[in-house]
Amino acid sequence: MKSRAAKSRTADLFAAAGRRAEVSPALIPHAQTLAPPPPPQARQPHAPLRPKQLWYAAVFPDMSALESSGAALQKLCLHAHSFTSFVSIEPPNALLLEIKGSVKLFGSLQQLHADLDDCWRRLMLPAHSVVAPSTLAALWLARAGGASQIEDADLLPSRLAKVPIACTAWDVERLQTLRAMGVTSLGELMRLPRAGIARRLGPAVVGDLDIALARQPAPRRAFVRRERFRERCDFETEIEHVAYLEQALEPLIERCARFLRRCQAGIQALQLKLKHREGPATRVQVGLASITSERRRLSDVLCQKLARLDLRAPVRGMELISGSLRGLSASSLDVFAGFTGAGSRDSAPQLVERLRARLGEEAVYGVRLIAEHRPEAAWRRVHELHLTAAAKVAEEISDQLPRPVWLLNEPLPLPKPEILQGPERIESGWWDGKGVARDYYIACPHGARLWVFQERRSKRWYVHGVFA
Amino acid sequence: MSCVVVKTWMPREVSLLADVLADARVWKLKDASAAPARPVWSTGKSSLDARLPGGGWPTASLIEVLLDDTGLGEVQLFLPALVACQASRHGGDAPWLVWIAPPHEPYAPALAQSGIELKRLLVVRPTTATEALWAAEQALSSGVCAAVLLWLKGTDDRWLRRLKLAAEAGGSLGVLFRPEKHRFEASPANLRIVISRGEPCARVDLLKVQGGRPGPVDLGEP
Repeated sequence: MKSRAAKSRTADLFAAAGRRAEVSPALIPHAQTLAPPPPPQARQPHAPLRPKQLWYAAVFPDMSALESSGAALQKLCLHAHSFTSFVSIEPPNALLLEIKGSVKLFGSLQQLHADLDDCWRRLMLPAHSVVAPSTLAALWLARAGGASQIEDADLLPSRLAKVPIACTAWDVERLQTLRAMGVTSLGELMRLPRAGIARRLGPAVVGDLDIALARQPAPRRAFVRRERFRERCDFETEIEHVAYLEQALEPLIERCARFLRRCQAGIQALQLKLKHREGPATRVQVGLASITSERRRLSDVLCQKLARLDLRAPVRGMELISGSLRGLSASSLDVFAGFTGAGSRDSAPQLVERLRARLGEEAVYGVRLIAEHRPEAAWRRVHELHLTAAAKVAEEISDQLPRPVWLLNEPLPLPKPEILQGPERIESGWWDGKGVARDYYIACPHGARLWVFQERRSKRWYVHGVFA
Repeated sequence: MSCVVVKTWMPREVSLLADVLADARVWKLKDASAAPARPVWSTGKSSLDARLPGGGWPTASLIEVLLDDTGLGEVQLFLPALVACQASRHGGDAPWLVWIAPPHEPYAPALAQSGIELKRLLVVRPTTATEALWAAEQALSSGVCAAVLLWLKGTDDRWLRRLKLAAEAGGSLGVLFRPEKHRFEASPANLRIVISRGEPCARVDLLKVQGGRPGPVDLGEP
């Protein structure tokens, strides 16, 4: 037993642990001399028998003839998304689906495989499909035209052995080298020593074989569906009144909201294009205060914008284009968004964006403290508001001397007033050219409490704030 | 000469005073048991609190402040209430404060000093009075604002009624500041006060108090 294990470790590297019988004994001494021991990390993955991933490859042989196979594959991805969330496009004519997570949902692997094949059949697309524990094995076997299911990674070497090398989609030069060596199938290739393959054909081939035999993970890029909603509607007659536009817009918004819900995503920007008989289209840009997919909010803001719109020509058609899709955060998900309809209460983001839609982006803002001694620099306007629940942060207050509720944009000169309280000396800012050297007082001329200061250099008096 | 016929509910038999008082349609003036169910927010001045029904600014109502110039401590009267109503809602999100068309820049350090959560303060600068009123109505009725302060030169009775309804619907405190010349106009506001200059401190006059008695108030210390 011990000697057998020792023998096999140095033997064929591409044969997995359980399939030692497959290895041709004649090659063992040859391999012993040439092949280095397998790297430790390469042996790790095939220790567990049950594969972590199951890949379904579908090859569409008719598709390579099509010019727009890329676009067609993207459309097929949308169909494939109903089976699994991980779909990868393998140009020119194949799709790879990770289906391990979906097996339970569909009952059994056989059922899932049949359902997937059914999907292509309904689309009148001939396809070869294979399920295998590794990406490349599934892909190569599918290209070879087989229709099989391999769940056990140990079965891979025997199944792959018969696959012609042309199915690997390696470049022509490599394939020619292999043919010149007399290698026509993967089985023949796997029997060759590892170092020799790497030297003659490049390390990529060895890497591919490792991936195909599920010894190395092969990250794939998942297809993400087209991240935009774009739909147009043309009118039979020209529309001159905004009120009618709003009505015509409703179904578009409804479809947009439905699209967003299906994608489980939200948007933060929206564009409406109004087309006229001649001249450029009128564009209505809408920004939302937070990511949303709610129909009511979208229509609310768009209608606000439309109401303020000056139509320069009758509208013949319109197009609604969403901004890029964003993931909805847990706090922005409203479970009952679809059911509440026209509730009277709305959320803070909704209020802010409604105000902004009508009054302009700049007209709605918040204020923040800045740690700064100069009164005019101790605060600033902020336009990005923390609209969702934010942790309560105690604002730091540098000094406890009274500050007025109103601050004048520019200090106004005034004659020396009657002083109630003071002085508070503020001398700061010499480093940025806006230095101040002032003595602040609270004054009460004619009954109003003012925050006044005396410039220390010019000795002139100014009013800077009002204690309202 | 016109005659107005008023249909009233007449009891079949003369009942006890207690029975009459128990009727929901009977409105009791200055009765401790008739204190508003909704919370009131202290004004920070005990003499003013004492004159207001319930002992403070009523919520879900419109308050009209008439004054000709700023600097009379008019915002100071509302700051304790703003802080209190921001802190009132536990658990969920702190409610918003919206200041619409303030005469000057609200100075963040002063507001932070008095305890207002600046992250929940929204300043709105509309260009016209109608837009300001519209924004106030939206904010009041939204239900996410604890208080809406609005500064205006003038407005009409109809808009004030809309604001009042919005404040009641949204459960927020609406405060409208406008010039004193409007004091003789009819107003649906729940509370109307006039603040004018005085020595040593500003004079506060209650013009209209629903459930209270109008008259001048001595604020004491400025």
